[in-house]
Amino acid sequence: MSKMASMFRPKKLDLSGFVNTRLIRDHNKRNAFEQTEPERQALRYMIRNTSLPQRVRAQAQLQLSQMHAYTRPTQIKNRCVASGTARAVFRDFRINRFQFRMQALAGELPGVKKASW
Amino acid sequence: MSRTRILDLVKTQCRIFSLNFNPQRLRLGNKILRQRLRGPALSAWYPKKTVSFRDLQNTYKPLGLTTFDEAEDDREEAIQIAKLRGKGRPKKKRTAAESKSAKKKR
Repeated sequence: MSKMASMFRPKKLDLSGFVNTRLIRDHNKRNAFEQTEPERQALRYMIRNTSLPQRVRAQAQLQLSQMHAYTRPTQIKNRCVASGTARAVFRDFRINRFQFRMQALAGELPGVKKASW
Repeated sequence: MSRTRILDLVKTQCRIFSLNFNPQRLRLGNKILRQRLRGPALSAWYPKKTVSFRDLQNTYKPLGLTTFDEAEDDREEAIQIAKLRGKGRPKKKRTAAESKSAKKKR
């Protein structure tokens, strides 16, 4: 298996809205993780299972560590859907704090109101 | 209650609720199998592709139905103006010899 990140790149972009390279890269990582998650979980199970022979567990460890970096869930970073920023992204709205402010003030976020008392 | 009785109770409980009966408390990694898959939720973070205006144009083009695209119209107009001013794109060089001679002139 080659270690190229390009193998996780779809032929045609399946995203709409704001798009930049880093956002696409993160999207590819998410897809790669989704595809390999059962395999990863199976290996993780084998590693944690103390009733299995030590050799099998060590092999599972090796195999898991040799999987591509893109299939690792820790590689995934929540990015702003509207601007691609990776910092201060609200999980509930999937946008960063500045986009949140702009959209909220423009009344584009239902139920969000500027506090005043 | 005796220990064997309690163990029997736990065993029945595990059978009913399809849990793993493990009285020795061995580390069997079953907590990994109990975890839910996070992939579908994670990969749905960014909005998926929807039908765009260009898709509509492309689907109706073979039928002979053309649409008005203001941006495309503006672009073609700008190109026409640039051509009139002599600022259009240079002619495409078709052969290797042509491109070589063009380079030498400079």
